[in-house]
Amino acid sequence: MNGEAERTVAFTVNGSPWRGTVEVRQSLADVLREAVGLTGTHLGCEHGVCGACTVLVDGRPVRSCLMLAVQADGAQILTVEGLAPGPDQLHPLQEAFWNHHALQCGFCTPGMLMTAWALLQEHPQPTRAEIQTWLSGNICRCTGYQNIVEAVEEAAVRMAGEGGRA
Amino acid sequence: MSVLSAPRFVGQRIRRVEDPRFLTGRGRYVADHEPVGTLHVAFLRSPHAHARITRLDPGPAERAAGVVAVLTGQELEAAQIRYAGFAGQPIAPLAVDEVLYVGHPIAAVVAHSRRQAEDAVELIAVDYEPLPAVVDPLAALAEGAPLANSRAASNVCFHLEHQPAEIDQLFQEADLIVRETFRTHRQTAVPMEPRGILATWEPVAGMLTVIGSSQWAHGLRDGLAAALHLSQSKVRVVVPDVGGGFGVKYGIYPEDVAVAYLATRLGRAVKWVSDRIEAMISDFHARDGIHMAEAAFRKDGTYLAIRDRMVSPAGAFMLDGSAAVLETVIGSLVLPGPYKVQAVGFTIDGVLTNTTPLGTYRGVWGPAATWVQEGLLERAAEKLGLDRVQMRLQNMVRKEDFPYHSPTGVVYDPGSYQESLKLAAERIGYADFAREKAEAARQGRLIGLGIAAFIEPTSLGAWQPEPPTVPYESAVVRMEPSGEVLVQVSVNSHGQGHETTIAQLVADVLGVDFSAVAVRFGDTAAAPFGGGTFGSRSITVGGGAALEAATKLREKVLAIASHLLEAAVEDLEIGDGAVAVKGVPARRVTLGEIGRVAYWIPGKMPPGMEMGLEASSRYVPPPMTFSNGCHAVVVEVDPDTGRVKVLRYVVVEDCGTMVNPNIVEGQIVGGVAQGVGAVFLEEMGYSDDGQPWATTLMDYHLPLASDVPTVECLHLETPSSTPGGMKGMGESAMVAAPAALIGAVEDALSPYGVRFQRLPLTPERVWQAIQAASQPK
Repeated sequence: MNGEAERTVAFTVNGSPWRGTVEVRQSLADVLREAVGLTGTHLGCEHGVCGACTVLVDGRPVRSCLMLAVQADGAQILTVEGLAPGPDQLHPLQEAFWNHHALQCGFCTPGMLMTAWALLQEHPQPTRAEIQTWLSGNICRCTGYQNIVEAVEEAAVRMAGEGGRA
Repeated sequence: MSVLSAPRFVGQRIRRVEDPRFLTGRGRYVADHEPVGTLHVAFLRSPHAHARITRLDPGPAERAAGVVAVLTGQELEAAQIRYAGFAGQPIAPLAVDEVLYVGHPIAAVVAHSRRQAEDAVELIAVDYEPLPAVVDPLAALAEGAPLANSRAASNVCFHLEHQPAEIDQLFQEADLIVRETFRTHRQTAVPMEPRGILATWEPVAGMLTVIGSSQWAHGLRDGLAAALHLSQSKVRVVVPDVGGGFGVKYGIYPEDVAVAYLATRLGRAVKWVSDRIEAMISDFHARDGIHMAEAAFRKDGTYLAIRDRMVSPAGAFMLDGSAAVLETVIGSLVLPGPYKVQAVGFTIDGVLTNTTPLGTYRGVWGPAATWVQEGLLERAAEKLGLDRVQMRLQNMVRKEDFPYHSPTGVVYDPGSYQESLKLAAERIGYADFAREKAEAARQGRLIGLGIAAFIEPTSLGAWQPEPPTVPYESAVVRMEPSGEVLVQVSVNSHGQGHETTIAQLVADVLGVDFSAVAVRFGDTAAAPFGGGTFGSRSITVGGGAALEAATKLREKVLAIASHLLEAAVEDLEIGDGAVAVKGVPARRVTLGEIGRVAYWIPGKMPPGMEMGLEASSRYVPPPMTFSNGCHAVVVEVDPDTGRVKVLRYVVVEDCGTMVNPNIVEGQIVGGVAQGVGAVFLEEMGYSDDGQPWATTLMDYHLPLASDVPTVECLHLETPSSTPGGMKGMGESAMVAAPAALIGAVEDALSPYGVRFQRLPLTPERVWQAIQAASQPK
């Protein structure tokens, strides 16, 4: 193996600092799941297509299976575990997904939520077509997407009513 | 007759109780389980479709960093470790000297991390001597074809034939015979969570515990016990949250056996989670059938008989649940669909090929058989100059025909065949569609309307004298001392929402709040034996068992209340968590008080009654319970690109009593999306030498949010005779959607006279069909 095999990285996950030694070849997804212990980020394809592993890195949606953990050094990371505003509370997106039966097996759900969060940051009042386009990088095999799109629409309305809280 | 009178929760659109954990990232799938010291497995797989292994040297891999062991087929062979395929035929988990498909596992590397195991797999030295590959099933049947497996006597691995005496006569007397070959393409289910298994072993005690992503915990337990020569009581399978199944997680896989064996050999926790590329070539494949069908009609449109010669490539092995058997045999039983015919004839050949073994995927027989059924009828209506809806209505099984005895021997229970079709036709705008189509044509647009009336045989019971599937499901319902309820069922959920729907059923029977019922499944140490989740059975059969058990428990609760209140059982009513004397609400006893007595105070129990509050049921449903309905869809075809856009989509579904309409509609819309994938997007193709074309999700195009239509769901409810009146429906949309979509595209292309014989209808295939057709007539 050429060059260094391991490196110490530090980043913030869901508001808490994390520091540790990782193999330089390890994906951010693997480090989040195995080292940080946040298994809500799921691996559906490990080649950047399905979107199940989507997390937010400095506010932008990223496929954590394609990003190396060392690239996240110094970053602010948000995962599905950090979406809710507090314990025993749900984010409006989570609440809307629940109301609209927007999940079945739940495996793609974390990635869907994170992508939808990024969408609503950029387009607080998205059209249906914008929602479909944004979500077309996340594959759901169960729902047929209809309820997911409706849930994002409802969340947009609620969040606008709550002063755009995200 | 339904045991549910005046339900409070059944029929309500209740939010699912399982959702909060999934929404907050607290779902726990196999990959999320990792005991301290877990070892990880990666598999070496064949790059050849068919080859002899002339040398296999695991040495370099064994010496690699982090590697603990390398398992070969020879070691398993020496230990006589095999699992059961079709009719109990043994299958070696790892190839020994001959590889039979690309992806065939050859060796397993165990290391301290998955990364190390994957690195070391590449160090295993293997020499192959390629052999001729058999890919096309018709070529495999030809005289002198090479053998797909050098140990097989023939490529034909399954044959079944039934030609009733009267069928030739019916074809001779027919005014019209329609013949067509319908060929579906190969697909695979692609649940978003890949398969995975974690096995641990307690030495001396000899206890194997497995956490596996499975639709059938007890089947995996018994399959592993048999393969590893362990007693069933020494194997415990725990199925955690499962990220989708759709049929591919039903049954046992070679990786399950190899990983469990490694746990026993190493005395360690051993884990394997499939990556997507190996999932594409190692999960069961599906469909890929050939139907050479013909149907006989009178000129007034009367449907007389259907004959179908089916050929199905089983792949390299006949699995226990081989689609070469299930797709074809179940298809043969329901070939006429909702229509009456006088005779059904069929010939089935299952054929070995050097491809991934064929297994179950949502709808199994349905997408192909419904295409055959509706495709033949459409062609007949066109040739006879009859209206296609009228011709369907004319031939459909009517209300007065139920129970309808099909010439295939199966019995259709009551449904709403004509009503569903009429409602779907009305809602899609069939009556006005000719005008709409002509108007579109004037604008240079090609639009078409497709219809698929369907039946779905669900909730299999004793459908054969010695059925190959477990003919019942089980439930244990226990009221705790607090009066809250715990339900254990034998059906598993991998997205269907059993924790919610089965709680709705039980809450209504026991008169408790929905939130007071917890539903559990998936752990063979706790859940009763059953057949697991397949064939659209969970709510009918699993829910039926829960209803029966809850009803027995209610009788005991009432008997205790009767004793405590000194009132006759007939004078009591149960509800709101208490039992009260009718009309005297003050004379009541809460379920918590009944629980306290039942668990703690023998002296207050009715004389001779057993302590505790628990009841169980094994519910054997009728052989088949048929749901029915109709899909109607309007599409637009772009003749310049061959791209198809769905403009509107209507589903009428009759699945009897709906426990939770949200969940019913979720299954419908999800099934339509998979139908869109099946018809337009997905294809697991092979080159002539057996190399798979679609091994990533870049190549295997799953439907995206931008690909799927908005589906309007309408419901009719013809209750079944099962305890709650429910009928299965989880597969129905996949049964009907392909036929409806194909029919719509053909209707749009009617100016060109295009009919399709092959799938998928990719833009290229549609465009080519337009080019090949004559100019618009």
